Parts: sequence; structure tokens; C-alpha cells
Amino acid sequence: MTWLTVAKKDFRDAVQSRALWALVAVFVLLSVISTYAYVELPEMFGTPGGATFGGLIFFTIGLIGLFVPLAAIVVCYKSIAGERELGSIKLLLSLPTTRGRVFVGKVIGRAAVLAFGLGVGLVVGLGFGAVLLGDLDVAAVLVFVLATLAFTAVYASIIVGISATTGSTSRATTLALGFFVVFELLWDVIPMGLLYVVEGFSLPTTIPDWVYPVMQIPPSAAYFSTVVALLPDLAETVGADPAQAGAGVEVTAAEAEPFYTSPEIGLVILAGWLLVSVVVGYSLFDKADF
Amino acid sequence: MAAIELEGLTKRFGDVVAVDDLDLTVEEGEIFGFLGPNGAGKSTAIDILLDFIRPTSGTATVLGHDAQTEGEIVRRRTGVLPDAYHVYDRLTGRQHVEFAIEMKGVDDDPEALLERVRVADAADRKAGGYSKGMRQRLVLAMALVGDPDLLVLDEPSTGLDPNGAREMREIIRQENDRGTTVFFSSHIMEQVEAVCDRVAIIDAGHLVAVDTIDGLRNATEIGETLYVYVSTLDEGVLERVRGLEGVGTAAIDDGRLRVTVDGVSKFGVLHAIDEVAGVQDFSVVESSLEDLFVRYTNEGKEVEA
Repeated sequence: MTWLTVAKKDFRDAVQSRALWALVAVFVLLSVISTYAYVELPEMFGTPGGATFGGLIFFTIGLIGLFVPLAAIVVCYKSIAGERELGSIKLLLSLPTTRGRVFVGKVIGRAAVLAFGLGVGLVVGLGFGAVLLGDLDVAAVLVFVLATLAFTAVYASIIVGISATTGSTSRATTLALGFFVVFELLWDVIPMGLLYVVEGFSLPTTIPDWVYPVMQIPPSAAYFSTVVALLPDLAETVGADPAQAGAGVEVTAAEAEPFYTSPEIGLVILAGWLLVSVVVGYSLFDKADF
Repeated sequence: MAAIELEGLTKRFGDVVAVDDLDLTVEEGEIFGFLGPNGAGKSTAIDILLDFIRPTSGTATVLGHDAQTEGEIVRRRTGVLPDAYHVYDRLTGRQHVEFAIEMKGVDDDPEALLERVRVADAADRKAGGYSKGMRQRLVLAMALVGDPDLLVLDEPSTGLDPNGAREMREIIRQENDRGTTVFFSSHIMEQVEAVCDRVAIIDAGHLVAVDTIDGLRNATEIGETLYVYVSTLDEGVLERVRGLEGVGTAAIDDGRLRVTVDGVSKFGVLHAIDEVAGVQDFSVVESSLEDLFVRYTNEGKEVEA
């Protein structure tokens, strides 16, 4: 159970980070403002039929898709690299545990910190929305919260995994930001660019099937698809692009033709990220000298 | 069973050989000093014992278990004060000790441990604000959690004032009386001399000597050193003194002759010097282990050069 002790220690330590709370404050503020904007001006956000609670959920996803990656970077980039750089890893590994359990404990501890911060923001944002709309879909909220927690855990695992590959925090920062830029900001361009090249330097009129799963590779796109897969009825009624006006740059492409390939691929991709980050992060961490 | 057994232990970092084919056995129940100048490879060897570092070749066995494959079992019975560590700045002293207690799965009293190392007053302050000496005490308290069978202390007196260093030695002795094997490194001979049963001297990754303190003292030819004030002191005098019977080495040191005596009586040597150049005053210094240490570690370098 030493992984749990590590997780608890890490939670206690990281939850005192000022940067985290600044970020949560920004998230709360943003979610209140955007919830208010969505409820008051639903037509601006692609829901001409009027604001619904389901619409609000999908709208919030866009916000989370940006908040979680950034918060995960802030909370997790130093999780292992920082301990190695400073030398506190020596205190930790002097105790009867293994590097594997330290890794797992770190992921869980940091994921809990993120979930805690995110939870505060979501309760405030969705609570505010529910009050304004006079509507609350408890079952949908539950599924949505679970999916969001899973997404958060995956992101914590990705950034902790990145942090585990190096003993330098500046290197960890570069790698984590690089990950964000490539997968969350620029990814849309990649399949389109590939398609352009494959089709002989022109864009075809119909987009082939393989583009869709490639588009889902960014964790936040996979998260969006997961919610669509888990709440199909709600997604159907909401229809168009609830997240487009939100911050989710990366999810918009997925919605262009959201249902022509199964959105369940999102779940598979999230699980894949978890696996890859643990395998890569842990194996490099396990080989390292401190 | 040996508490620590190193066999052919070698660690290379790129082109640099930090530890070179080290063989060493530390018996259960002894206080063992691991001595060497800074950068000699002490910490590297200790880090291998704790599995912070993986050896290039050779094996390290601690309390009968392989340090690399069975590190967790080793660390369950080992208390560690590492080198170049850092405390968790945002956690209090008490939280540190509680963390160690929980990790080791024991039910020690954190208060009692903090009392023992004299940081109980600061127990509820964040460790980030501790002085170097307080941190060292705090981490010692963490090492003592669970009454370990082996204490591995890397430069334990770093950051401690003379009182603190004395208290550290007290604790080392108390733990040893309880039956704990103590393995600690230092680059300061007198600390090792004060508590150790046996000493290993390591230099540039090589083991240069392993013996008891007395054994080391006896093994060396430098018995005593004479410092002699003579009426005239120049190269010519020095040459003639060197030629005298019973003189091991002779040098000019701060306006005096420094002469080591080999086997014969000091009195005889003094008389002989008096005939070369009039002796005005003299003093006798028994060779300290410090000299010994300097000699062992410098000789190594001369051989290599």
C-alpha cells in the first residue's frame, strides 16, 4: 500500500501549490462567465433551440478540454523530474517501496489534486447553470463527471509519465508543453496534411474513414468522443457543435462529421494514452540513476 | 551473515569510472567507517546499496538480499540518511516522520523520534524553513523509524555544528548497542576515528585500505614526526639530515625541519641532527589518522601520475 501513502503525501504537497489555485480560480471564473453567456445567448453557441442542461454539459466539455491539459501540466510536470532534480527522490526511495509504486502513487496523487480543483470549478459552473436553467439531469451529470475524472487521470498519467523520463524540470517543461502544442493545438493539421499528400496534393471531396480515428488521437478529442459515446441521446439532441465556441480548438474537427465512425474509439484512445504513458514513463524512470 | 557485501562493484558514468572493482564486507553489528576525499566514489557506492544507481558490473548484497532485485526488502530493514537529498519544503517535520512511519508500516511515535534528534520544537513548521543542520536531524529521525537492522549514513555530520556532530555520534553508538550495524561515510577522519570499529579508505573509486583504526595506525611506517628548530636551515642541511640513519623523510616546513623517524629512537635522531645544525627547540607529534588518510589518498594519486 505504499503507493497510497505516496499518493497521499503527494496530494498534501501539491495541493499547496499556488499556481494550482490560481488556475482553479481562473477556471471557476471562466466557467461561471461562459455558463452565463451560454444560458443567455444559446444561439451564439450553436443551440438555436434554446439553452438546455445537456447543451451546457457539451459546452463545458470544450472548456475542460483546455483546462485539464494546462492544469495537468502545471500540477504534474515537476512530479518526478522535480524530485530528481532537487534530490527529494532519495528520501522517497530510501523507504521500503519500489519505483513502480512511486510512479503509480504520483499519478494517483496528482490526478486527485486535479480532480479536486476541477471538481470545485464544475460544481460552481454547472450548479450556476442548473440554477439559471432551472434544470438538472442527474444521470447525465454523473456520467459526465465520471468521464471527466477518467480524462483527468489519463492526463495526469501522461504528464507524470513525461516528468518521469527526465531529471531536469526545464526539460520536463519543454516536453510537456511540446506535447500540448503538438497534440492539442496543431493536431488537426496533421491528418489533413497527410490526406493532402496521400491524395496527390489536393483535398478530396469526401473525407476517408481513417481520418476520423486519427483526429481522435489528442486526449481531449478522445474525451469528447467518449462523452458522446456515453451520452448518445444527449449528444443527438444537442446536435451540432456545442464546444465550438468554447475553448476546445481540437474537438471541432471531430464534430464536423461526429457520427460517421463510432465515437467509442475515444474510450479506446484514452485507455491507449494511459497505457503508453505508464509504459514509457515507468520504463525510463526504472532505468534511471539518481 | 555479512550486513553488506560488495563484490567486484563497478560503476561507470560515460568515460568516468566512479567505483572501480570494489570488494568490501561489513559484518553485522559493527560500526563501519567509509572514508575518502570528496569525489572518491563513496556516495556512488552507497547509492548502489540503496538502488538509486545501478552498477555497471558486480553485485551489492545488503542484509543477505541483492540490492538491485530485492531493494524493497533491503530498505524495509535499513534506515537511510542519503547524501544530496532535499526535504519536502511544503510538509512539516512531523509530516515527514509520519510519512516514513506509514511507508515502513510501523507504529512509532513521531514525537519521540523528533525529541530524540532535537527538532521537536520545530515539528509543526514547514521543513523548507529548516536550517541544514535541522534537516539533517529530521532525516536522521526518518532513518531511525522502525528500529532498522542497518543504518546507512552518507556524510551524516554535514551541516551539523560540533555539538550536533557529537549528538549524531551518540545516536550512532546507541543504535549500535541495540545491535544495529552502522555504515557511514565521511571525508573527515576524526569523526570516523571517534566511533568506528573498522574503516575502509577509498580513493578515486579504488579501495586502498580496510582495517581497524589501530590496525591502520600500526600498518603505517609513519610513527612519529619531529619538528625541529635548528640554528641554520638550508638545502645543504636538509640533504645531510636526509642522509642520517633512522630518518624516514625530511622537509622544510614553516622554518622548521620536519622529520619522520623510522624505527630508531627519536633521541638518537635528534642528537644526529644536533651535530649537523644546532638544535634550538623541537616538538614531537604522534601521527594522526589524518596524516594516514592524506598519505593513503595522495599515494594513490602519485602512483597514477
